[in-house]
Order: sequence, then structure tokens, then C-alpha cells
Amino acid sequence: MSKAEPRLIYTEPDKRRTLDHLATLVKDGMVVAVGGGLSSREPMALLRAILRRGTRDLTVVGSAHGIDIDLLSAGGAISRSSESYVGFEQDFGMAPNYRRALESGAVKADDSCCYTLVQQLRAAIQGLPFMPVRSVRGTDFLSLHPEYKQMACPFTGEELLLVPAIEPDVALIHAQYGDIQGNLLIQGPPVADVLFAKASRTVLATVEDLITTDQLNELRGVHIPYFYVTAVSEVPMGAHPTACYPFYVYDRPHTALYYEAARKGAETFKADYLSVFIHGAPTHVDYLDLIGGEKTRTRLSSWSEGDESWQRLYVEEAIT
Amino acid sequence: MKYCSLGEMMIAALARTIEDGTLVFHGFGSPLVQIAMHVAKRTHAPRMVLVAGATYGVDPKPPFLTPTSNDWVMDRGASCSLGIEELFDLAGAGRMGRMFLSGLQIDKWGNCNVTVVGYPGINLKLPGGGGGCNLSCDAAHVTLWTTAHRSPKNAAGRRFRLVDECDFITSLGHRTGDGQRTRDLDHRGNGPQWLVTELGLFDFDADGHIRLRALYPDTSVDDVFENTEFMPRLAAEIDTIPPPDLPVVDIIRRLDPLKVHEKEIRAEEMGREFEIA
Repeated sequence: MSKAEPRLIYTEPDKRRTLDHLATLVKDGMVVAVGGGLSSREPMALLRAILRRGTRDLTVVGSAHGIDIDLLSAGGAISRSSESYVGFEQDFGMAPNYRRALESGAVKADDSCCYTLVQQLRAAIQGLPFMPVRSVRGTDFLSLHPEYKQMACPFTGEELLLVPAIEPDVALIHAQYGDIQGNLLIQGPPVADVLFAKASRTVLATVEDLITTDQLNELRGVHIPYFYVTAVSEVPMGAHPTACYPFYVYDRPHTALYYEAARKGAETFKADYLSVFIHGAPTHVDYLDLIGGEKTRTRLSSWSEGDESWQRLYVEEAIT
Repeated sequence: MKYCSLGEMMIAALARTIEDGTLVFHGFGSPLVQIAMHVAKRTHAPRMVLVAGATYGVDPKPPFLTPTSNDWVMDRGASCSLGIEELFDLAGAGRMGRMFLSGLQIDKWGNCNVTVVGYPGINLKLPGGGGGCNLSCDAAHVTLWTTAHRSPKNAAGRRFRLVDECDFITSLGHRTGDGQRTRDLDHRGNGPQWLVTELGLFDFDADGHIRLRALYPDTSVDDVFENTEFMPRLAAEIDTIPPPDLPVVDIIRRLDPLKVHEKEIRAEEMGREFEIA
């Protein structure tokens, strides 16, 4: 990053916007940091809104991801992936749409590693052009990323790897709580979201519950100050089918349905999933109806009744 | 007579590689390792600092194992939680004692590939290594594991898990593709120390080459030769991997009522049983 381009701060007192408005701020060709991680707190409603608009040519950067990047791959929204991991872990295995997109060459594989990414974001946060790491030397990430440079430390003589700042054009974050000014509160693992918010030029946030600043300060969690945040939208169930505790758990039956369609191939996924749950649901409210509305919300919130009900939510295979 | 499964044998073998009083971490999609860390913490390594992958919870006491690792179940009872940057800083500064890593390809020097089969032309895109690349260099020690050492022939030709050379080095072993000693790179860590597979237990000799140390009661040196692309080296004495004792088996079964760890075990290996004391 260049010091000639200072980053903006966002001071508007009321940053409430519609979900679709947030999606319009993600332009073709942008570098996008998708928040959350694996099966938790992915900004899924916002990603669906972006896919409905037909946004293309995005570069995604991130640490450990799953259905979010797989869905963007299927929807043709991305052309380069700098993620560290995209998969469904032991639960379902490799990410079918992501694999197809990268193996066909439609999306360039530009894999990174978690600490490398952390250091690159930290450089952007601190307004520095690069940060060093000691690791990575000797692996094939050096040939994948010719932009990395090696140098001897001027103080100790140690060989170090310099990795350039990553300043995403936009971070997409789904938090449990926020206020109208854009203060955000994340409960549970923040993953890389705080780093993303501070390193990115713009931050688009969806929240389960929009509350007052006083209420926000009574809750435990990790805060993201309002001036990093560009716009906020209240979107209950906005991370579905990933988890957003304490509101709801990961929807494993829906993910099983998703995975089955994805596994069968691009055409099946388009017919059975994209045209139903993305393009067949013009608004988030329509999507919530499709996935079973209040009944589903009640089922996914039943984790709090005790360990037995919590455990039961991982064995259901069929859509109920 | 009581019996345990292959998964339980492997969990016990992985747990034995953990030293008390060290900080230990695991990645995602690693149920055998997740359980092994809890077994170690509750048996021989009570002062181990157990950091859960994905949640970064410290010393959690999950009520059960979930099929995905970034879940609030997995950090219940944690004494605190780290951020992603703090966890990797700990390793970078030399405070991480052990990390567990795996690969779709593991080569004779302990390099692992979880990025791509075929490089630079991609034949198969793998999920990627998370922070494994960084931690393979920074963690003091690494334990490797795989549940698919046995590599059946198929129509497309034989694809080994233990290969002569990785198509892409995601995490670092003891020598790079061109044979250079990785210790000359002056990384923080000492690289892979153990490899646990469903056929045996391996360490690394003075050259940094994989060496067979122990077999299961139902596997042979021939099984290892037959299923390894390179010629494995043999320790002077080949031991038998001991089974877990009953309290360890009990910890495993209580922690994983959904049998998530069995998803790591190939269907063909599920019938294996081992007598326990």
C-alpha cells in the first residue's frame, strides 16, 4: 500500500442500509475478505444478495472457509482464490464447486497460509508496505507467490520472508450485534474478522440484532469500532446455513442437501440449489420461507436446551 | 476380553507423542488429533496447554465432538480464547511445542501436500493447508498422521499416500524437493518427529528420512513396503504399538458419542480390532 492513499474513516451517525444496497457496494473485480470461518458466522445472506446481482471477477482472501467460498465459486462470482483452506472438513469432505472452478481454470488457485495472511493484513492495518515472516521458506508457496521477497535481517542477519500488505477493497462481516452507527460486537471466535475490518477500505456488516450502543456495551464479546464500518444491515438468520450462536446452530441437514447437489455436478447444483435458494428467493425473507421459516429457526435454536438437544442437531440428515 | 478399534489405537499412538507442559495445537478436519489431545490432557499431560483449532479456545472441555471444528461446542469450558494472530505469534516466537499435520501426499522427508495434485497444472485441487505451512516451520515439533497409508490399486493407476516426492510442498519436512536440508533454512522448529499411519509408527533418521519404528499387532513390514512408493528405512528393532488401556478407551468413547473420528477411517479398515488390557 502507498502512503499517498490514506484510508477513509466512516463517521455517518446512521449507517443502516438494506441488504441489497450493501450488495451493490461490492463491485466486479474487487478483492473481498469474507468474514467468519468454516461452519460459523459466514455472511451468507449478503453473499446470496451478491450472487443474485451477478457480480463477477472477485478475488477472495481468507483463512479457513467452506460453504461461503464454495457457493461463490458455483455462482461464477470469483476469478481468484487466495484462501488458506476451503472445504467441509470431516463432515462432508472436499468442496465440490470450489474444486471444479479451480480445476477447470475458471478460478485461479492462489492459496495462502493463515499466518502469512495475518501478517499481510497487519501490514495494511499499520500502514506499512510489508511484514516479515520467518516461516514458509522452503515450501512451494514461494513459487506460487513470486511477489514474496527474501532478505537478510539488517540487525541479526537472519533470512526472512517479506510479504506485501493486503488491503482488501471490502470486508463482508456477519456479527451477532451492532448499532446504527456501525459498532459491531462478535461473540465467540472472531476468526480474522477484526483484522479484516481494520485492513479493508470498506466494511459491510450484517447483524442478527441491531441494538443501542448502551446495550452493546453491556454484552461480552469482541468489539469493532464504528469508524471502520461503512454500512450495516439487520439480517436475522443472516449466517444460515452456518452457525450464529447464541441464536442458531449450523444447519447440518441443509448443508447435507447443499453438498448432495454440489457433489452431483455443476448442472445439478444449478438446478437443485442455485435456481432454488439463490435466484428463486429474490429477498432474504423469501429465503427464510424456503428453508422452513420459524420451524427451522426453532429447531436450530434448541441447542441451548442442553447437551442432548445440542448433540441431536448433528445427527439429523434429512430436511425437516 | 475387551477390544478397541483402529481409530482408538491411532488416537492412543498420537496422544503418546504429546509431552506434558507444552503448548499443543491442531488444525481443522482432524478428529483423531482433537481426541488425542484431550486424551493426553486427561492422562499423562495434565499441564499441557491445549489450544483447539478453529475456536482457539484454551483447555476447553467440550461435551462431545462436533463434525466441524469452528463450533461453540468445541470451546465450552475453555479458560480463555486466543485470537488468530496471537496463536500464530506464539508459534513464531517459539512457544508452540507441537503441531499435528497431514497430507494427501506425504513424502520420504516428511513434506506434506494438501494444496494441489499436479503443479503447476492442477489435476486435483485439495482444500489447502490452513496455517500448516507456517506452523510446520515454527512449531518446535510436528507429528504427522494419515489414515490412508494403504493405497489400493484402481483403474486410474496406483496413487500412493506415502510418495517419493510431493507435487507441491504445503508443509515442510526435513529436505526440500531438491534435497536441501531444511535445517539450513534456520526455521524455529525441528520439523516432523513422528508419523502415525494405520499401518505403523514411523520416526525420522539422521538424514531426515522416514523410518519404520513399530507395527500394529495385525500389520507387517511387507504391508508397509507394499503400500509405500519409496523404500522405507527400518529401525534396528521394530516394536509393536501398544493398545490404549481401558480408561483411555473410555475417555474416547465419552468424548465422541457421534463417532466423528470414524469418518477419518477408511471403510476397509473399520473391521480391525485390538485386544486391550
